[in-house]
Amino acid sequence: MRLADHPMLDALCGEWLTGTLRGGARRRFERAMREEPRVAQRVEQFRREFAVSPRPVPGLVPSAAELDRGWARLERELDLTPAAAPWWRGVTFWRGWALTATVVAAVAVWRAAPGPVEAPPIALRPVAELVDAGKQPLIAAALSADARVLELRPVRPIVAGPAQSYELWVIPVEGGAPRSIAVVGDLGARIEVPAVLRERLRAGATLAVSVEPAGGSPTGAPTGPVIMTGVIGS
Amino acid sequence: MDTARMLDDLEVKRLLIRTAAGDAKAFERLYRLTMPLLLGVTARIVGRRELAQEVVHDAFVRIWRSASSFDPLATHAVAWMVAIARNRAIDVVGSADSARVDAVGDDIDAIVDDAYEWSPAANDSLDRVREHQGLRRCLGELRPAERQAIVLAYHHGLSHGDLAAHLQRPLGTVKAWVRRGLESLKRCLEDGHLGRRRDEAGSSEAGSAR
Repeated sequence: MRLADHPMLDALCGEWLTGTLRGGARRRFERAMREEPRVAQRVEQFRREFAVSPRPVPGLVPSAAELDRGWARLERELDLTPAAAPWWRGVTFWRGWALTATVVAAVAVWRAAPGPVEAPPIALRPVAELVDAGKQPLIAAALSADARVLELRPVRPIVAGPAQSYELWVIPVEGGAPRSIAVVGDLGARIEVPAVLRERLRAGATLAVSVEPAGGSPTGAPTGPVIMTGVIGS
Repeated sequence: MDTARMLDDLEVKRLLIRTAAGDAKAFERLYRLTMPLLLGVTARIVGRRELAQEVVHDAFVRIWRSASSFDPLATHAVAWMVAIARNRAIDVVGSADSARVDAVGDDIDAIVDDAYEWSPAANDSLDRVREHQGLRRCLGELRPAERQAIVLAYHHGLSHGDLAAHLQRPLGTVKAWVRRGLESLKRCLEDGHLGRRRDEAGSSEAGSAR
């Protein structure tokens, strides 16, 4: 039986929010929240009605240093730093560069001039062409080698109206539910791929764009029409 | 207290959506904005600050990984995050940690009045103000035993077994208190909604009759 049709659904929602639903019962309920949109909606309705705002506990407010340490640890464990601060943006690098610039310039006079010392562009490889139902190509998708950056290059500007968003999905090679990569208003976009989805962007996986309410799909799965798809090539 | 009122659900929601798109900068802002609140919520459950810090860390790892499952149309972004942190805290505390359960305070009024915010903030919508007032009123209308069981379970993360031990009542009795209390609470909140809708419909009819 689907949980959405279960006569105890409301009781389970209440116990889940209160925290008295434990063990296997809680895991089953949370799986249903992910897999059954009606269960997720019911929980959301309970959340709205049982609206509590906890106050921070006096004496338990973290200091600025504690917050810094906590963030640094998260950043390290989730590997969030590399894209944010590449080595060539480091202060040490530029200090060193300033000290040696004169020498380099002098040498450059009689050697082949080095390329400009600017942010090296991320190398992106075309991986898929997204086409509409009539097979008309609409977007070329290009991906960085580490699958961190996905760039969408539309053949003409494709911009959502104020009440809509475009949502980009990946349907994994092995099948299963589409996973949301990003919600955008303009399909000419450079997207940072969520870490958990990077390895799914491999040959054979399908990219798809659906039209959704502003802000993206309300259910976590595509709800509007899919306007284009493309399979990632090898 | 001010920190809580500055927690703007819309801002948290915006940051969560950007976090879902892998924006580490947005995630950092989200962390700095909400970590103090989540630390308090989890500390009330696990009892120790160091353990609460670990729980909050785990919760943020989970928030980063599951941000894409946050419903962008949901109106209670802070509550979504609080639920993740509370669940982590509940997972961590041992079910047989009697010292933790003994340390739980019994002044239910003090918990409800002091640990939660009921007064409207300047940026609260009218709906939000009504939701808060409705919940507080309906909590007050519960039978004392049901109210005590629900508040202790929520606030301190007590399981049915913890509640039975703490309140020295049979397990079946406290389970029934929680279940019946939640039913009454839900009914009372829904009646409040219906009443409001009737009022609104009545006043618009009165308006159109004029």
